[in-house]
Amino acid sequence: MENSWFTLSFTDFSYAFLSVLLEGVPFILIGTLLSGIIDEFLPSRVMVRLLPRNAFLGICLSGAMGLVFPMCECGVVPVIRRLISKGLPVSNAIAYMLAAPIVNPIVILSTYAAFRGQNATEFTMLRLGVGYLVSVIVALAVHNLPLRGVLRRGVLLEASKSHGAERAPGFSIRIGSALRAAVTDFLDVMVFFVLGVAVSAMFSTAVNQEVIMPLALNDWIATSSMMVFAAILSLCSTSDAFIAATFIAFPGVAKLAFLIFGPMFDLKLLFIYSAVFRKRFVAGLAVGLFILIGLICVRLRILGL
Amino acid sequence: MSASLQRYLSAGVLTIWGVVLAHFYISGRLASYLHPSFHALTGISGVVLLLLAVGVLFLPAEDEQCSGPCCEHLHGQRRPARSVLAALILVVPLLAAALVSPDQFGAVVATNRGLIDRISDLPGYKPYVEPPLPTAADSQEGEGTQGAGESYLPKNEAGQLKAQTVDLIFAAEEPTMRADFEGKEVELIGQFMPTRAGNPEGDRFNLVRMFVICCAADARPVAITVQTDKAQPIAEMSWVRVRGKAAFPVESGRRVALVLAESVMPCDPPEETFIY
Repeated sequence: MENSWFTLSFTDFSYAFLSVLLEGVPFILIGTLLSGIIDEFLPSRVMVRLLPRNAFLGICLSGAMGLVFPMCECGVVPVIRRLISKGLPVSNAIAYMLAAPIVNPIVILSTYAAFRGQNATEFTMLRLGVGYLVSVIVALAVHNLPLRGVLRRGVLLEASKSHGAERAPGFSIRIGSALRAAVTDFLDVMVFFVLGVAVSAMFSTAVNQEVIMPLALNDWIATSSMMVFAAILSLCSTSDAFIAATFIAFPGVAKLAFLIFGPMFDLKLLFIYSAVFRKRFVAGLAVGLFILIGLICVRLRILGL
Repeated sequence: MSASLQRYLSAGVLTIWGVVLAHFYISGRLASYLHPSFHALTGISGVVLLLLAVGVLFLPAEDEQCSGPCCEHLHGQRRPARSVLAALILVVPLLAAALVSPDQFGAVVATNRGLIDRISDLPGYKPYVEPPLPTAADSQEGEGTQGAGESYLPKNEAGQLKAQTVDLIFAAEEPTMRADFEGKEVELIGQFMPTRAGNPEGDRFNLVRMFVICCAADARPVAITVQTDKAQPIAEMSWVRVRGKAAFPVESGRRVALVLAESVMPCDPPEETFIY
């Protein structure tokens, strides 16, 4: 067999594709069941009453909510969709959506375990801190955008016509409604998840990884490349640190960028986000996150990473 | 009509996903795809999806519940053609992959991901730390276990140490573990992959096992070199049982794991195809 840079095997592709689907479906299901319950049982506007009136404090608080309600990047999208329809400001939802897959206890532990012997404490703290900072910055930027430029039309309609909890039908009817909302969300998100997983499975099986080694020689190129790998590989944030730690040839700042960019944006998320946000906003989010995380991480070289 | 179509499509998609997940769990195929810690979650999800399918079929539709003028639900927003397309995207790739997938990677992925033959390249590797010197109390407590060494390792019926590829690449770089294996008879099971570089006689091949953290998608091929007396006519990535002597020679400036094979026999895949 020749070592070309791209060799696609359909059986290998189908194996990788299926393994990610089997791993991801339970988490999306948990997220959508939760979203159904939120839809039916969380009274409208309660989120607004619970959050601080000051937008900045609200965003800061939302970014840290993953510590209390940990969610992975796949499951969080249907949840924020329902929270938005229940009156949670979009900027707060974005802060939670971007931060929760990083700022959560499971990811903190897995990052620390994966980097033991490689400045684990610094890496874990930086992942947490920079991930949180980026989420807050992006959410503050979104705070100033008009909703119609951010949300898809259907989601915008849901947000403007919040429904469900104001009616007070019997408990069994409400459970039925919650299940129906969960099924709708599950099927919506799964379409995008299947497409995203197909693309990432193709890249992760067909591209020869030897071709990436020269990219490790320069901080800027290495950092950008690692963010692109994170987007292509579409790993779960609970396990990506174990993969990042094996990129021995790459500088620490590049690995940090991998660990922050991946949970916020990858190929499967590109498709999943499209279930909630406008395509133009998703594209802008990708570019913004890429530049912001890249700039912050390369600057952290001064810490000796 | 549109609502009924939507209901049957949703129930059908949920049923297919539920059946596939439950099938993988019950048949044991899941072991070739996911880390054991995910198995129960996937099995439960299969059951939940089947229950949701029943719920979608038998619970009254939303528009049957609230037909009054005050209703603000967004009924019938999806066009039938779009619903059918979404159902096809959800079902066809899943069924095709489930039918085609051989439950293991082939040589293309092993080549593209690069064989791991040094322990520091292994995900989650932690450098070896020398244990502290024993105190007098430890010596008394430890009496009877001195020199036990490889007696802790499992053996086959012929008395050979049952090892994994990952054990030997650990041993290549860690002296304490190396002493347990060096010069000893070992038995390993792994996938056959020809060695293409630095193998002019054609008498060496790689014995590969996939090291997994979460699922097969993150699998990394861990390999040791096996030396035989002649080239082996074995299909790439098929499972073989190797019996021979473990050695740790220095090649190209570093110590490597090598098995001097006495026999190489095709075999069935082990129950656990991954190493974790």
